[in-house]
Amino acid sequence: MFAVDWWGLILPFCYIGVLLGSLITFSSMYRKRKAAKSANLAPWFPPHLQRNIYLSLLHMEPEEGKEKSVAVPDSVLRAALLRRAQEDIFRIIQIRSAKQACSTLLQRGSIGDDLWQRFLRAEKEMEEELRDVVMEANALSPNWGQHIFQSANEIAARSMFTTRLDEIQAQLEPEKEWWEKRRASIQSEFMKELDTPASSTGDEDAVMVESNKSKKKAKK
Amino acid sequence: MDDSETFTQLPIRMDPASKAITTSSSSRALQEELAALNNLHKSLLQLESPVPPPPIPVNQKRSANITKLRESGNAEFRKGKHAEAIKLYALGLQMALGRPHWEPSGLVRDEVAGLYANRAQAHMAMSNWVEGLVDAEASVEAKKVGNAKAWWRKGRCLMEMGRLEEAKEWVGRGLEMEGDEADLVGLLKDIEEKEKKA
Repeated sequence: MFAVDWWGLILPFCYIGVLLGSLITFSSMYRKRKAAKSANLAPWFPPHLQRNIYLSLLHMEPEEGKEKSVAVPDSVLRAALLRRAQEDIFRIIQIRSAKQACSTLLQRGSIGDDLWQRFLRAEKEMEEELRDVVMEANALSPNWGQHIFQSANEIAARSMFTTRLDEIQAQLEPEKEWWEKRRASIQSEFMKELDTPASSTGDEDAVMVESNKSKKKAKK
Repeated sequence: MDDSETFTQLPIRMDPASKAITTSSSSRALQEELAALNNLHKSLLQLESPVPPPPIPVNQKRSANITKLRESGNAEFRKGKHAEAIKLYALGLQMALGRPHWEPSGLVRDEVAGLYANRAQAHMAMSNWVEGLVDAEASVEAKKVGNAKAWWRKGRCLMEMGRLEEAKEWVGRGLEMEGDEADLVGLLKDIEEKEKKA
């Protein structure tokens, strides 16, 4: 009763084998392709200059012709890490302000999904970068990680304020020149009015205009 | 952004004597960044602690000095010695802006706003409309809301210089920020009257 006809079952088994094999191959290839595409996404931000500087300083090789490398002192590394934290704050601000806008645009369908993927990837990388900076800060100085970002925030806000103030102060010279020209033209108009009326009342006007002009000169 | 495992090794080297970082590459961005780094390093070296302290507990000495300078400037102004007042305010501004960058920027803004506004008033008393204009604008930049004095002073300077269109626009913006401040409304009326006469 249990005499199974193995030869007859070969065909169905082959069929199932081929079916399963092709499904497994297809799904693994598809996943690999998707992962590769997400890794190839165009980066959101340009290369992180301050991070490169910090890591280059950390890993500086000895120069040609010298025996040992000049050890980069800790103070330089701390300054470099602080600059790196500043740039990170700048980027985080950009990401946070772009997030709402991007999600709204995505819902309306104005932007494609790949842009949103790039944005999400940038956000994730940013979080990793922040954690990395805190760890490095703690390594350079005990408990610095807690307040490095506060300090960096203040420095960033301060530098933006300073640039704005410098712009405003730069307007001082051009404004002065403009004002001098304007006063000169007003005075030359007075001179013209002085010259034209040659009548008797002109003397009285002349005296008044003279006193006005001298008053203006004294106010300088 | 690069992969978190890799980074780009940049062609930089450190000068062993001055501990400044230089580069052989000609990239302008890199050179500017290194200049900023070297400046920051120098200012960090002047601190006693290895790292910048957290911003919140502020050293009171500098704040006390700045307040003293502002008070003496106000006293000189009331006595009528405007040039003296301007000098004192300028000194206070130097102190306030010379604060290290990691101290709270909000505090710096408040101090700077007050000093610039008072210096603008002193300039206006001497009829230096241009300097008063620039200082009032700097004060507004430092503190946009709650700074009706500075908005009014720049509007007045513009009016005195005869730039009535700009003055009207400026006072309009000031009213948006301050919300119907009596002085600003009065100033706007003055400007409009002057426009009608011209």
